[in-house]
Amino acid sequence: MDTLILVIIGLVAGPLLGGLIAGLDRRVTAWFQSRQGPPIMQAFYDVAKLFGKEKMVVNQWQILCAWVYMIAAAVSVALFFAQGDLLLIFFVQAIGAVFLVMGAMAGKSPYSHVGAQRELMQILAYEPVLILVFVGIYMVTGSFSIEAIWAQDMPLLAKMPLLYLALGYALTIKLRKSPFDFSTSHHGHQELVKGVLTEYSGPYLALVEIAHWYETILVLGLCALFWHTNVAWMAVLLVVTYMLEILVDNTMARMTWRWMLKRVWLIGMGMSVVNLIWLYAG
Amino acid sequence: MSNLLLLLILLPAAAALVCYFVRSSAVRTLTVVATGAILTAASLGLLGQGTFEPIAVGSFLGISSDFLVTVLDFALLAVIFFYGIKHKSLLIQVFTLAQAALLVWFEVVMLKHEAVPALMGDQLSLIMVLVISIIGSLICIFAIPYMKEHEEHLHLKKSRQPQFFFFLVLFLGAMNGLVLSNNILWMYFFFEVTTLCSFMLIGHDATEIATKNSVRALWMNSMGGLAFVLGMVLVYMKTGTLDVSAILAAGPQGALMVTGVGFICLAGFTKAAQVPFQSWLLGAMVAPTPVSALLHSSTMVKAGVFVVLRFAPAYVGTFLSTGVALCGAFTFVACAALCIGQSNGKKILAYSTVSNLGLIICCAGINTPLALTAAVMLIVFHAISKSLLFLCVGTIEQAIGSRDIEDMRGLYAKFPRTATITIIGILTMLLPPFGVLLGKWMAIEAGASTNVVVITMLALGSALTVVYWARWGGSLMATREEGAPAEKQAALIRLPLTVLCLGAVVLSVAAPWFYNSLLAPWVGAAPFTMSLGSLNSATGSFAVVPLFIALGLGLLFAIKAASGFRKAKIAPPYLAGANAEEDGTYIGPMNGPVPFVANNMYLGELFAEGKLTPIFNLLAIALIVLMLGGAL
Amino acid sequence: MFGSFIKKSRAKSPWIMHFDCGSCNGCDIEVLACLTPLYDVERFGVINVGNPKHADVLLVTGTVNHRNKKVLKNIYDQMPEPKAVIAIGACGNTGGVFKDCYNVVGGIDKVIPVDVYVPGCPAKPEAIIDGVVAGLGKFAQKVEDAD
Repeated sequence: MDTLILVIIGLVAGPLLGGLIAGLDRRVTAWFQSRQGPPIMQAFYDVAKLFGKEKMVVNQWQILCAWVYMIAAAVSVALFFAQGDLLLIFFVQAIGAVFLVMGAMAGKSPYSHVGAQRELMQILAYEPVLILVFVGIYMVTGSFSIEAIWAQDMPLLAKMPLLYLALGYALTIKLRKSPFDFSTSHHGHQELVKGVLTEYSGPYLALVEIAHWYETILVLGLCALFWHTNVAWMAVLLVVTYMLEILVDNTMARMTWRWMLKRVWLIGMGMSVVNLIWLYAG
Repeated sequence: MSNLLLLLILLPAAAALVCYFVRSSAVRTLTVVATGAILTAASLGLLGQGTFEPIAVGSFLGISSDFLVTVLDFALLAVIFFYGIKHKSLLIQVFTLAQAALLVWFEVVMLKHEAVPALMGDQLSLIMVLVISIIGSLICIFAIPYMKEHEEHLHLKKSRQPQFFFFLVLFLGAMNGLVLSNNILWMYFFFEVTTLCSFMLIGHDATEIATKNSVRALWMNSMGGLAFVLGMVLVYMKTGTLDVSAILAAGPQGALMVTGVGFICLAGFTKAAQVPFQSWLLGAMVAPTPVSALLHSSTMVKAGVFVVLRFAPAYVGTFLSTGVALCGAFTFVACAALCIGQSNGKKILAYSTVSNLGLIICCAGINTPLALTAAVMLIVFHAISKSLLFLCVGTIEQAIGSRDIEDMRGLYAKFPRTATITIIGILTMLLPPFGVLLGKWMAIEAGASTNVVVITMLALGSALTVVYWARWGGSLMATREEGAPAEKQAALIRLPLTVLCLGAVVLSVAAPWFYNSLLAPWVGAAPFTMSLGSLNSATGSFAVVPLFIALGLGLLFAIKAASGFRKAKIAPPYLAGANAEEDGTYIGPMNGPVPFVANNMYLGELFAEGKLTPIFNLLAIALIVLMLGGAL
Repeated sequence: MFGSFIKKSRAKSPWIMHFDCGSCNGCDIEVLACLTPLYDVERFGVINVGNPKHADVLLVTGTVNHRNKKVLKNIYDQMPEPKAVIAIGACGNTGGVFKDCYNVVGGIDKVIPVDVYVPGCPAKPEAIIDGVVAGLGKFAQKVEDAD
């Protein structure tokens, strides 16, 4: 019964929180750029406006894929709030990612197609890192389940610092922040128009945006688990992490997929493996 | 029950003879369909009767079955040696002669001819029999219209279907015999029969490349046969028995015996086309699709992993086990990487098969109850999904004349049913809550308890699989014109495709019950408890049925939303405002139309087959040497 | 209730797409200036999307010639309703000094319906922002009328 309440909280509060974070993100970014920026509720205005637009698609696969993406993201957040298995949560979230890519490949749009291929490169980059982070959590708590984390006395961050940094790579990719925002970006006018999202419009773009909020909550939730012992410090960790993300976004240029693969696999996986060796040896 | 066993092993042999000698296609069709139906019923009946202790097989017409098997064994080696001479392959000749010599010495000098109960039926055997009989039968049924079209396409004057179906159906009996064997010599015999069937079927089309590839498959599998005999001898030297269940019950018994088991595992590696032996499987893709589907994805190569898995209790906790896990994990990631550089549909499926077999072998090497559960889950669900995908590719190839996935782009426009089934097949291989992902999830959770190297390879391999499946699935989706002509498909092609597709989905839902009734008793210390359709354990849980319900409802909702799409405004894709009349074309330079062209990224600079294969082969040989040397 | 929130949001989240129909780029530079921190139209929720499928408001500059009128029409058609068009600069409004040339169509409203005309050569950023705000008003009106 408790689980059900938590799941409902997650499903409802997730997108609301995600939208607020998106709005705050734009506000803080504007501050970095010496301007005022939109109101904090802007993300909700955007999504509401999109829902009110005319339905326009290239074919029915886009509709199917947009819905499945959002539903999969929602289910993964529900599982997260239900204290489920981290590895399973990740694979459920991957359903959405795969459907986003497939939906983008459904029409005859060159921008969409190249965006979809780049999105696959992004998935290729962050998936091994995330799996190793979960393995690290397993090594510390003895389980892949979120429930086991609460039983720990020390924050996970103490034993898994390098894995947290590697998680930062995955977070940057998932939040679509520079330098890893070549598949699609919140900044307008990239060389692929809008990349993966080019052909999505109106209500379906709104669904994709809500799915993105769910994913943001999921990855931030994962970061939050690293300091589960104290709510205040958890908040500090999240705020610092997110501010760093915005800082990186504003100071770095968009790079290529080759650069990303090299960086994330060599440095990200390298850090993860070193941290895991510490955990396996200890 | 012994009737059922007889049926499962000998009926296919009889049916094969009918297919060969009676040259009427109607009789052949009837024989194959009837055999398929009877095998399916027999396998289900065997399951219904439950597991059974090893039983002895009596004599046939007064000749002891053991003697019969020995005679046939040497006959088989002679046949293979003959083909070695015919194709001027020194390797085949050497390996076969070595096997024969060792076998003679073993049987005459070493063996104390005791009676060994020849057939056993634990849960693993029963599950394998189901997989072989049901999926095998469906594929044989698919082969009937497929081969007819295939021969029409090749303009063959004299049909070669009799010998094709002879070996295809005979193979089913050999596989059933292999998985039910309790006598290690019988296991070896059936192992070699599958080698012969594979060789004959790969070379079926008798083109130059088919012959070359079949010879390569034969020498590699002969090498595996030699390893099997060598391992058998070493194991017997220590344990003194041919009885498999006795060997398993005794567990690891010293370095020599474990090394023997290691050689048997090496035989399994060659049969399962692990790196560095993967080239024979890749070459086998020139054979007609039913061969690829039956032998080289769902069944024969499963014989290889079956052997490694069957002997898992004999090397649990030894260095060999770690070595097997390392070799398996390395194949998993290496072949997933090689797959990224491929655009040939059958080669993608082949590399993916080898990759998943590597994962299964890795699980056998990890050798914990969780890992062994994962291995069996993967065997079953991979067999279903991969055979479905091979049949789809075969159907598509006959429809569009190409097996390159770039040519399959936008298949939904002309062939909606095949495209949808293929997409479903791809999704069952890749995503939760389906069975293959369930197995992979279990494998990763099991691998987390081993060592950093194995788990890093598993993580990398898992990421690579997403890329090559998702891009193929996405490229099949397309816009279908209103009022386009309906897709035509032969009934005997539609049946296996639909059954396998539904089977993959329905069996995935039933996975918790499958685990509870068959796998939990087999592994002993059951890793999961089942509740509310979920598999729960201290280390993690997988909510199979709840996920199916949640995602299933979501999918239904999404389909309903999508089916009304013609009420939405259909807009052409964005092409900077220069759209021409035809979908995807734009007005380009000199006011001329530029058609839509897209290609997947094959990452040739990193993942080209030619570049990576030599490196991977070397590394794999090193790992195998490490594995065997460490066992000693 | 959700419907009224959607209506309110339309005015608060106008995504613009900017298209140059043969302009000298003077007006285009002023449009892009609006996006800079000095004028900061993002505080009104305005984002410059490069894709008509995501856009609500189409900002067009230039006189339109016989070649890019097809492109303009195509882009306008690919914008989902409700949408508004703002013609910027003298050239966009009527063709400006080039009105009688043989190669110009002479104004954007000859190809697609225009909601707001922003005069100027080039139009000042303040005027452009004024025009967008006026366009939003017409936007809301259009939606009211359509309901």
